[in-house]
Amino acid sequence: MTEHADSATVAARMERRWGTVSIGIILALVFMAAYIGVHQGVMPQPRVETVDPRTLHIAGEFIESNLGTAAEPDGSVTVRAIGQQYSFTPQCIVVPADTQVTIRATSADVIHGFLIEHSNVNTMLVPGYISTIVTRFPAPSERLMPCHEFCGAGHEGMWGRIKVINKAAFAKLAADQRRMTCVAQ
Amino acid sequence: MSTEPRFSHRNRWFTIAVVVTALIAATSAAMGFVVLPSLQTNTRFTGIWDAICSAAGLVRAAPAGQPVVQANYKTTDVILSSSTLDGSSAISIGRGATLAMRCTMCHGTRGVSEADSPNLAGQYIMVIFKQLQDYKSGARTNAVMTPRVADLTDRDMRDLAAYYAYLPRLPPYHPATAGPAPQIVESGAPMRNIAPCATCHGTLYYKTGSAWLEGESSVYLQAQLKAFASGARHNDISEQMRNIARGMSSAEIEAAAQYYANQPQ
Amino acid sequence: MLHSKRLILSHFWLAFAGFGVALLLGEWQMFIRSPLHAWIGDPEVYYRSVTAHGTAMAYVFPTLVAMGFGYAITEAALKRPLIGGKWAWAGFALVAVGTVTAVIPVSLGLASVLYTFYPPLIGSPFYYIGIVLVVVGSWIWVALMSVNLYAWKRANPDVPVPLAMFANVAGSYLWAWTAVGAAIELLFQIIPAALGLTTTIDAGLARVFFSWTLHAIVYFWLMPTYIAYYTIIPRAIGGRLFSDPMARISFALFLVVAMPIGVHHLFADPEVGAGFKFMHSVFTAFVAVPTLLTVFTICASVEIAGRLRGGKGVLGWLTALPWRNPMMLAVTFSFVMLGFGGAGGLINMSYQLDASIHNTQWITGHFHLIFGGAIVIMYFAIAYDLWPHLTGRALDSFEMMRMQLWSWFIGMIVLTFPWHYVGILGMPRRMAFYDYTDPAIAPQALSVIASVIGGAILVVSGALFIAVLVRGHLAARVEPGEYRFSIAVHQPHRVPVALNGFGLWVSLMVALTVINYGFPIVHLLSLSNTSVPVVTIGAAGR
Repeated sequence: MTEHADSATVAARMERRWGTVSIGIILALVFMAAYIGVHQGVMPQPRVETVDPRTLHIAGEFIESNLGTAAEPDGSVTVRAIGQQYSFTPQCIVVPADTQVTIRATSADVIHGFLIEHSNVNTMLVPGYISTIVTRFPAPSERLMPCHEFCGAGHEGMWGRIKVINKAAFAKLAADQRRMTCVAQ
Repeated sequence: MSTEPRFSHRNRWFTIAVVVTALIAATSAAMGFVVLPSLQTNTRFTGIWDAICSAAGLVRAAPAGQPVVQANYKTTDVILSSSTLDGSSAISIGRGATLAMRCTMCHGTRGVSEADSPNLAGQYIMVIFKQLQDYKSGARTNAVMTPRVADLTDRDMRDLAAYYAYLPRLPPYHPATAGPAPQIVESGAPMRNIAPCATCHGTLYYKTGSAWLEGESSVYLQAQLKAFASGARHNDISEQMRNIARGMSSAEIEAAAQYYANQPQ
Repeated sequence: MLHSKRLILSHFWLAFAGFGVALLLGEWQMFIRSPLHAWIGDPEVYYRSVTAHGTAMAYVFPTLVAMGFGYAITEAALKRPLIGGKWAWAGFALVAVGTVTAVIPVSLGLASVLYTFYPPLIGSPFYYIGIVLVVVGSWIWVALMSVNLYAWKRANPDVPVPLAMFANVAGSYLWAWTAVGAAIELLFQIIPAALGLTTTIDAGLARVFFSWTLHAIVYFWLMPTYIAYYTIIPRAIGGRLFSDPMARISFALFLVVAMPIGVHHLFADPEVGAGFKFMHSVFTAFVAVPTLLTVFTICASVEIAGRLRGGKGVLGWLTALPWRNPMMLAVTFSFVMLGFGGAGGLINMSYQLDASIHNTQWITGHFHLIFGGAIVIMYFAIAYDLWPHLTGRALDSFEMMRMQLWSWFIGMIVLTFPWHYVGILGMPRRMAFYDYTDPAIAPQALSVIASVIGGAILVVSGALFIAVLVRGHLAARVEPGEYRFSIAVHQPHRVPVALNGFGLWVSLMVALTVINYGFPIVHLLSLSNTSVPVVTIGAAGR
């Protein structure tokens, strides 16, 4: 009986130790997430904003002439885009390298995904809500920008592109246009 | 076993479980709602209360931006809906038939064109209504159509749309042997952002506002695709058709137009 | 002694039939969008197949396995016939009818909305009604598990509830509450729209309700697997369960922390505040606790088996293990896949890392590895273990069983590892074509081909599995004896009341759901301007 009690105590002690280790692992993970959040100020979708998808094309910041990239007075740029069955407008987004980019996007109909390959730009476009992503592209490059959420039978045809160009080239574009895209006319 | 109280601070399990759970919830809430928002550098909150409300997901107004850039051309202001034009009455169709007398020269007596104007018989009601609205507002222009819609009222346009939608689609006017669908129609060209035509203009998949294309004149279809591609036609909502037409080669435009022209209506 | 053999066999066979068909569809999907096949022409057929594959694999197959296994546990652990056999058949009939009701519109292309629904896309109402019937059928099972437990408890007031039954009922309660989110979405948002009663829908709110179900459902799928780890494996390999109370704590913790974490699927969504995303992220980390406890307890139990078989020294017990025993293989493969899948899961749960892989093929790889791999391989083991008791015939195709388990493991690794890789490259999910001639996509071609090969191995393994079971029906009659569960090193004579019932854990589960979901749901409900027009598919709107 005492042997039984002893082995039970040993077992209980081992379990407690392992339990402590487990909790330690979890706390380390949570701490990492919190640390990155504090250190890099990363907050997914800092605010919730709503918009009526039926009237995007009639008034407001998502009318077609206001879509594309705008240079802001503080040196950053703002990109406005919409997703619809089965394209993004603009189809090709142009942004300067090494500059803060704020992307504001929404959907005109169903749920779409907004992903820029080889970057951390990855968000959902949900009709009725505006998605905001703040990012920065280090160097000039050209990337694909697929819709990554099933949006209907033409989903596989919904590929946009993004061009990251150097700051000087962008400044030249910005000199004679207020909203820039790289859509070939 | 059953005498032990379950929900009581004397039950060690109860106390520990509740306290630990509450602690985790409270700590993560404090981090998520107060600490992290207050450390954001990308987003400026107006104060701690604004930060907490934003983190909680309360709807906030858009941050002040630069003035919206208006287009130097007219775009459509029609709101598409699959339900607003439901239930056309006999009266509406009758009125539409009378009004349609002036359209027969181009669109045929029964909505089927003998020229290269679009066939309207059996076209979706929303499509006809939207195009009439766009001609009237100037979002779409055409030397023949623009003056003819100038005096149409909203009701006239509804009735005309109801009448043409009511007419039966007639056997194909453009006779030819229908071949297999060309690649551009069947599969599109994904990397050029061209979805298959039938994913909007089809019967299983249909996007409100897209036209019925089968049996339409090839000359008309090609002209429209080219006009979309160049931007000369720009009454498609948020560039949805311009985005597609821009990426099509002239051979693909011709193949797609021929294919639809040769389909039975 | 199992009394309801026909009931249990019916559940398993319907589950495995659906699984077999869905497996073939899955491999076909992999193949036609790979560089090995030309574009299929009509992309809509692909989305039909994805809808059918997901619906069968996520809703029908695991639900039927949990139900059938639950009835078997009830009779074997409580050592008495099931109470409410007629109701159980009614539940089975609802699941079967619901499945057929859902599959018909899907196969006609009238409901290609994928099993995750994605409103405002709306398909045929029959699809959604079919799924509701499946869920209602499974709720009958939940009620029966509860009734049987309480009837037994009343008859045995001073005996701890057998561990297998405790875990089984925990799984059923988890499912009952988990399914509520999707049920609300279907009944109050989607079905009214599908029937034409409403013309708008709040897509953001629907996503929140769906996330309520979508993550915790994984733990419902996981329950039979964990029950097998604790109550079958130690016995099957000749060992002892290391600790009975630890097992109970793990199952109780699943009840509490499986639920308030679903918003981690919505990290990239615009309709939920960042504060709630962080809270869900933290609780998602804590859901690893019961799994870590399980890993410890099962490894210790397996070590006991090794030592009982004469293994000595620090590692000697490993070589003494019965490696030719299919159950030993199954648990090993399951743990390896759980390990890799769990490591991937740590990336998904982290609010910042998630952005690099959200909704890419990484996610598909992740849940196939966890569900299709770690979980389903134990469903095979459960079937192998139960079959002689259900058929009264020997199940002795051991060589085939070993081949089946090996091929499932290898196939799953070959399928999912490349999938994770192309996900990191940014390959989006669920597309009917990929143009591998594009220079930006060309580097993914080889990985996709590897996944197709992995899928083919899985199809072979699935066929072997069915073959083993069919041979079990044709083998010589045997008397399998009483169906037994593992014995713990220290069999409990008394357990704390908290670990003998569910009052505390279910209360915490509901309370945490209210804390983590209450405000986002109420807030979205209060918004009047976020409902958007329904986009109907499957019929041209004239």
